[in-house]
Amino acid sequence: MKTLNEQISEVIQQEPVAVFMKGTPQMVMCGNSHRALQALHAAGAPITAVDILPDPRIRQELSEISGWPTIPQVFVKGELIGGADITEELLASGELQQKLDESLGSDRDQEVKVVQLELA
Amino acid sequence: MDAESIRALLSQAFPDAAELAVEDRTGTGDHFQVTVVSPDFDGIPLIDQHRRVNDVLAASLADGSIHELRIKTKGTT
Repeated sequence: MKTLNEQISEVIQQEPVAVFMKGTPQMVMCGNSHRALQALHAAGAPITAVDILPDPRIRQELSEISGWPTIPQVFVKGELIGGADITEELLASGELQQKLDESLGSDRDQEVKVVQLELA
Repeated sequence: MDAESIRALLSQAFPDAAELAVEDRTGTGDHFQVTVVSPDFDGIPLIDQHRRVNDVLAASLADGSIHELRIKTKGTT
C-alpha cells in the first residue's frame, strides 16, 4: 500500500483541482471549507475533494508537503493556491477564473468527486 | 491566545505596517481575523503574503491555540 504521503502527493499532482477540506462537498464540516468550495464552484472549477477529518495524520502529512498550516488547502495543477481567504480573493479579482482557464482550458468539465485515502 | 498577543507578534514581525488589526471573531480566543497592510508585501504574491503571516503565528497554529485564522493582507503601493 502506498504511504499517506505518497497518496496525498499523488492527489495534488494528478488532480486538476484538489481541495483538502473538513468533510466532503456533500457534507461540509467547516465554514472555511465551505467558502473555498463556493468560490471554486463560482469560478467553474472541477473539484477533487479529500476529507482530512478521518485521521489527524492526513493533515500533518499534508501540511508537511505544502508548508501551509490551515485547512482548507486548494491546489490547481499541483500548485498551492491558498486557503479560503485567498481563493475568495482570487475569485473576486478574476484571477481564479483566469488561472483555471490557463491551466485547464475554458471548456473544462466541472465534475465534483471525492477521493478516499487508504489508512494503514 | 488573545487578540493582543497576536497583535504584538504581528507588529514585531511587520514593524512598518500601515494597518494592523486583529479581531477575535467569536470572543473565544481561538477564531481570529487578522488584517495587515505593509510595505513588506509590496510586489509579493498573495500566497506568500499569507505565508509570512502564518509563519509569525506558526506555533499557535500548530498547537491548536489558534483554531481558525482568517487573513487579509495588502501591500502599500
